[in-house]
Amino acid sequence: MHAETMDRPPSPADIASPVIYLDGIPHDGFAAIRETEGLVWHPYDDNGFWAVTRHADVREVSRNPEVFSSAIGHTNLWDLEADALEARRSLIDSDAPDHTRLRRVVSRVFTPKATRSWEDTARGIAADLVDAFVARGGGDWVELVAAPLPIRVILAILGVPAVDADYMVELTDHLVEGTGDRPSLPDDAYGNTTPTRLLPFNSPASYALFEYGERMRQLRLAEPTDDLVTGLVAAEADGERLTPAEYRNFFQLLVFAGNETTRTAIIHGGMAFAESPDQWAAVVDDPSTVPTAVDEVIRWATPILHMRRTTSRETLLAGTPLAAGDKVVMWYAAANRDPEVFDEPFRFDVARSDNPHFAFGGGGPHFCLGAFLAKMEVQVLLEEMARRGVRLEQRSEPVRLASNFVHGVESLELGVLA
Amino acid sequence: MSGPVRLAVDVDRCIGIGQCELLEPEVFRLDDETAISRVVDGATLGRERAAEVVERCPSMAISILED
Repeated sequence: MHAETMDRPPSPADIASPVIYLDGIPHDGFAAIRETEGLVWHPYDDNGFWAVTRHADVREVSRNPEVFSSAIGHTNLWDLEADALEARRSLIDSDAPDHTRLRRVVSRVFTPKATRSWEDTARGIAADLVDAFVARGGGDWVELVAAPLPIRVILAILGVPAVDADYMVELTDHLVEGTGDRPSLPDDAYGNTTPTRLLPFNSPASYALFEYGERMRQLRLAEPTDDLVTGLVAAEADGERLTPAEYRNFFQLLVFAGNETTRTAIIHGGMAFAESPDQWAAVVDDPSTVPTAVDEVIRWATPILHMRRTTSRETLLAGTPLAAGDKVVMWYAAANRDPEVFDEPFRFDVARSDNPHFAFGGGGPHFCLGAFLAKMEVQVLLEEMARRGVRLEQRSEPVRLASNFVHGVESLELGVLA
Repeated sequence: MSGPVRLAVDVDRCIGIGQCELLEPEVFRLDDETAISRVVDGATLGRERAAEVVERCPSMAISILED
């Protein structure tokens, strides 16, 4: 496929290695790649991918889905065989017209108006968690605040009983581990009988989520309520409902994406405010800063580090010729620190007003479905903390995840200053 | 030059993301049932802001109507 492979300069940093991320995002490496003329070809498995790190290039890839396909190969770094790709296909791994149809079905239950209707629920959950965290004088920010807030909110929206929250967290944690360097579960965990290569994240935990989602589907078909699962089960687009496989993969996607990503934003937000008390003071002094602070927290965190596309035909990107079938990986983590776009990109600045970050994707049809929900959750958390004048301090180094996909942190001790 | 302009939503491209309604709630409204965006009757925007909204629509469904 690449006659000229031998001529390419070596990639300046090993950005694909999961263990590199145990020390945090390799920002120096990304800067070196970003500053290299054209595109850098990065080795991966038996071939490689184009590392797209500049803001403008991520934007171009995101906005040209006909050329940069989500349906070919996979949207993660590794390729999937055709049957596995089909079995695992969700919104994320689809192109128009399938994507358009699916997206419209779920957009109907995920509107800005619907998001606003969930705000009181989210605020109540945030207030309880903040009060409990303050009462015990701090602790593991991940376990006590960042993880429970989004999972409780998404479960409340979906209609999953609160008693199952811990089980859902357990399952999605296993999914994240599935993006690391080794499987975290035996193949037959949770009674799984499906070959793991057919399951999202190659994880038996996906099987458990499918089973759970299917039980809920049956319950809501028999007895509809006003929750999101009922809406999904009843949703029709162009006269079609979601197929059982589409529903199953979407339920799994919602529980994962509605949980792990916002959790990661809150983790890095808490850490950033503990490190920059002046920025937190600015929010407490002037709550009208909250909206820009929310976007800055999300830029700072960039919970999903990359997404992949695959070229449907020959094309040119950043002056570099690409062949059909090439892997093209958009590193949002790098684009969100691009000095061409962000003034002092390594400064955490809650007043940053011009903040076109790509933490929800670089535009185009795959723009994060849960963007409004995520922003609303971070917003109510910051508001509830600011109202109480809660000040955080960092008590430990974060224990980071070995993942090149999620900017994950397993634990982080934060204290509460009197 | 910078007078108000009218906008249009291509209903075949719109997938109900809602960025437009969030940016300009007086101009765009997502349909309660279909989530497809529509322009409020008679609504206009300054050309510069209109261009920004066009640019920020993730599904590239908004255009400025040139009379």
